[in-house]
Amino acid sequence: MIKVTQLNIDEVLRYMGCPPEKADGFLRAQVEACARELLGTVRPRWSWRTVEIALEEGGVRLAGGLLLPGEDLKAHLTGCGRAVVFCATLGAEVDALIRRAERLDMGRALTLDCCASAAVEEVCDQIEGELQGEFPGCSFPFRYSPGYGDLPLEVQGPLLDLLDAPRRVGLCATQTHLLTPRKSVTAILGVAEGDIEQTKRSCLGCPAQGSCQYRKAGGHCGIS
Amino acid sequence: MEFRELLKTPGPVILDGGMGTMLQAKGLKLGEHPELAALAHPDWLLDIHRAYVEAGTQILCANTFGANREKLRRTGKTVEEVIPPSIAIAKEAAQGKALVALDLGPIGQLLEPTGTLDFETAVDIFAQEVRCAVSAGADLVMIETMTDLQECRAALLAVKENSDLPVLVSMTYEERGRTFLGHSPACAALTLEGMGADAIGVNCSLGPREMPALVEELTRWTTLPISVKPNAGLPDPGGAGYDITADQFAAAMADLTELGVKCYGGCCGTTPEYISKMCAALEGRTIREIPRSVPAAVCSPVQAVPIDRVRVIGERINPTGKKRMKEALLRDDVDFMLSQALEQTQAGADILDVNVGLPEIDEAGMMVKVVKALQGVTDAPLQLDSTRPEVLEKALRVYCGKAIVNSVNGDEETLDAILPLVKKYGAAVVGLTLDKNGIPKTALDRLDIARRIMNRAVNYGIRKEDVYIDCLTLTVSAEQAAASQTLEALSRVKKELGLKTVLGVSNISFGLPARPLVNQNFLTMAMTMGLDLPIINPNLEAMMAAVRCYHLLMNIDADARDYIAAYANAAVSTSITAGAGAAQSAAPAGERTLEQIVIAGLKGEAPAATRRLLETMDSMGVVDGVLIPALDKVGADFEAGKVFLPQLIQAAGAAQAAFEVIRGRLSAQPGGERVVKAPIVLATVKGDIHDIGKNIVKVLLENYGYPVIDLGKDVEPAAVAEAAKKHGAPLVGLSALMTTTLGSMEQTIRLLREEQVPCKVVVGGAVLTADYARKIGADFYARDAKESVDVARQVIG
Repeated sequence: MIKVTQLNIDEVLRYMGCPPEKADGFLRAQVEACARELLGTVRPRWSWRTVEIALEEGGVRLAGGLLLPGEDLKAHLTGCGRAVVFCATLGAEVDALIRRAERLDMGRALTLDCCASAAVEEVCDQIEGELQGEFPGCSFPFRYSPGYGDLPLEVQGPLLDLLDAPRRVGLCATQTHLLTPRKSVTAILGVAEGDIEQTKRSCLGCPAQGSCQYRKAGGHCGIS
Repeated sequence: MEFRELLKTPGPVILDGGMGTMLQAKGLKLGEHPELAALAHPDWLLDIHRAYVEAGTQILCANTFGANREKLRRTGKTVEEVIPPSIAIAKEAAQGKALVALDLGPIGQLLEPTGTLDFETAVDIFAQEVRCAVSAGADLVMIETMTDLQECRAALLAVKENSDLPVLVSMTYEERGRTFLGHSPACAALTLEGMGADAIGVNCSLGPREMPALVEELTRWTTLPISVKPNAGLPDPGGAGYDITADQFAAAMADLTELGVKCYGGCCGTTPEYISKMCAALEGRTIREIPRSVPAAVCSPVQAVPIDRVRVIGERINPTGKKRMKEALLRDDVDFMLSQALEQTQAGADILDVNVGLPEIDEAGMMVKVVKALQGVTDAPLQLDSTRPEVLEKALRVYCGKAIVNSVNGDEETLDAILPLVKKYGAAVVGLTLDKNGIPKTALDRLDIARRIMNRAVNYGIRKEDVYIDCLTLTVSAEQAAASQTLEALSRVKKELGLKTVLGVSNISFGLPARPLVNQNFLTMAMTMGLDLPIINPNLEAMMAAVRCYHLLMNIDADARDYIAAYANAAVSTSITAGAGAAQSAAPAGERTLEQIVIAGLKGEAPAATRRLLETMDSMGVVDGVLIPALDKVGADFEAGKVFLPQLIQAAGAAQAAFEVIRGRLSAQPGGERVVKAPIVLATVKGDIHDIGKNIVKVLLENYGYPVIDLGKDVEPAAVAEAAKKHGAPLVGLSALMTTTLGSMEQTIRLLREEQVPCKVVVGGAVLTADYARKIGADFYARDAKESVDVARQVIG
């Protein structure tokens, strides 16, 4: 059962562009109030599937034929014979909540938006925990999403199809391959029998790369 | 037997079971397109359909669930190549023993506002499938597994506009009784019956045991036959299957006869065995006939509003006599209307009237834009208000739910032009008791017109419950005898015709002193005479108080719950006009200057401080001497890294609240307008749906007095060029958050240059850099919202 009961307020502040130590009591109180409101609206839904994978020229081939192109995911999944493909969404009502807030108070809207980003990360962490429990004795490189490294966003649609996501969780992609509802994730979690060398999720594989707002300001988004 | 006749027979109608799971059992590979089975595996399909016919199925769904052009795009096949053979195979299996339905599933992309797919495009996608199925000889259409009522409407409209086929419409709900998008069975029932579905129901998502609550809700809101097609229990999130057996399924389905369900079938995980056992279990059961009466009601996709007590219609979205609203319409400023909507619903409005009629603008285009935007932020049903049938039709098409049309009158021409639209789109309608000869003086003559309108509406197939009569308020200072005639007419319409009544109240006091007194008393008198739908300004506390007191005194507000909720802490509740949080801040408001308030971002304190300052300073002095310097100070601190984005936005919000006070003051003075600067066009580019950054920039630019033409998100390059030309904007701001949408930013800039639009372009967004901005031909790169103000100052001054 995936359920988010609280958010990391420091993480939300970082997403908002404010170093946590610079936030005063007023701002923290606003973030906490928005976090409560958001968590009342969030309905995490998810779907997953285990697939055999083959590393081949040009990318990673999933059983059934889908090719996830590029070198980065292939390198990332070295040592894995299987992978779990999953998707998660906070639901369309979160989008509506933020949309409404934008008309009344942009400060609240930004806070809710950043709370939602933190919530979707939390949901994915919990899902990953549950999935790891399904494969005792295995090890797992960090979860990898379209847009990381050279894995293109174009694979969103086929991944969602594989998961029957529109029907099962109401998650779709636009013609430009963005996920709707907006606060959603698709990810690939490699499954290796035995030990693999663990790498950390780092700025190098991040889709924001050279243009990251946190890096530009000399900081870090806090995800590691 | 045809589907419509089948629905009239006493017994159950048997549908088929799952298709996807059956194809997988036959050997369909993971990742293979099930829509192409008619081309790749016709023999499998024939076998599956035959097995269902043998199991007792009377209606086969052809394998066309995903056969729309969007989903087929990845397969290289067309709708015309896939639908005819799919239907032909089902017909071959049916051998005349079963009817064959075109199965219409979701397009696979979300519609606006959650997604980007436009409503008319969705109608067109479904229309192509329907036309194909008609020529292939389908007997009916089954629209199913829908989670968005708006997509359902698009499909139903496509069926109605391209065929005479009967249609069953079914949506899929979660255990909480709502679809993924939060849409409710009540709203689906009101909307889909209104638009002419032959049967409605529930499919997929849940198992048969979760059906009773959903079926019961549907039966409260529709008189149509109900269809139920659940999964074989609840699915495993890992795709491992469903949790109940064929015997359990059959038993649970047979119990639904007690609730009056007419059509029985299965969805994911069910097989011919499930259907066969279900048929056996249904044998000998009679479908219980439960008399149903559906109340007068309107709805949005998430909120049904039965007219079972006084329901307030907010009147504020209307330019008549409202300078600020006129300005907003001329500037395409939809945001202003959205804030008016939210203010009214917070004050207690149940329904919102929407009128955007101004001679200078494209009323139909604006109406569509405003209706879509309103439905993105408010759950309140809308009353679509225009004198022009073409405007009403455009609005009715895009409105999701059951709207009210305002209005028709006793004039034959109006009735014939507008009532067919009311029928087609399943709306309710306001009938004004006037005709070509004007407003009758006597109550009796108004009652006659009301009767005429009712009869015409019923002849057009509109339910009597959906006709609301307006007996018309006249100004009592001009015609003192008129008020009592209005009230008497209202009372007789209610009693003698049994219709709901609606009345614009505020006109009554025109030209009199202390207007609120007259308005409040007239409203109370009208409610005691039977007024159901007062059209008022809900922001006036006296008016809402009259409604709450009426409900309290007439024993409608059970245990005085609403009354107590509104007034138990009257002092507190009336002072909550600004955001929470601000109220708890430390020092008493009186001790802070407006400058300090803006810098601290205390939105709640800003209006009062502004009013105080305006007692001793003129408006421009407050703007140029206090607000702008305060904003500049915050901006400089932001650049220096002393304050951060949240504080910058809070300061902007506080300044915005101060500007609203000043703006109100200025537009109350004749000829007194703030000097208007040249406008700036803002847009999040085509393909991108992240617009919070752009919206932050908008607030800041408005603070500095720049009128902003906000085109929203996912904006076509041509729309940007058109707006820049139309409004003569010297600056266009473009935002993109994804690397994949930078291409459309470049295209937009190129188009502006090609069309020689005389404007500068500033770009921003997380993935942009100054270098990239230069490369795609932008004039400026703004790193953050503050820098976009600097750019505006440089370009416009």
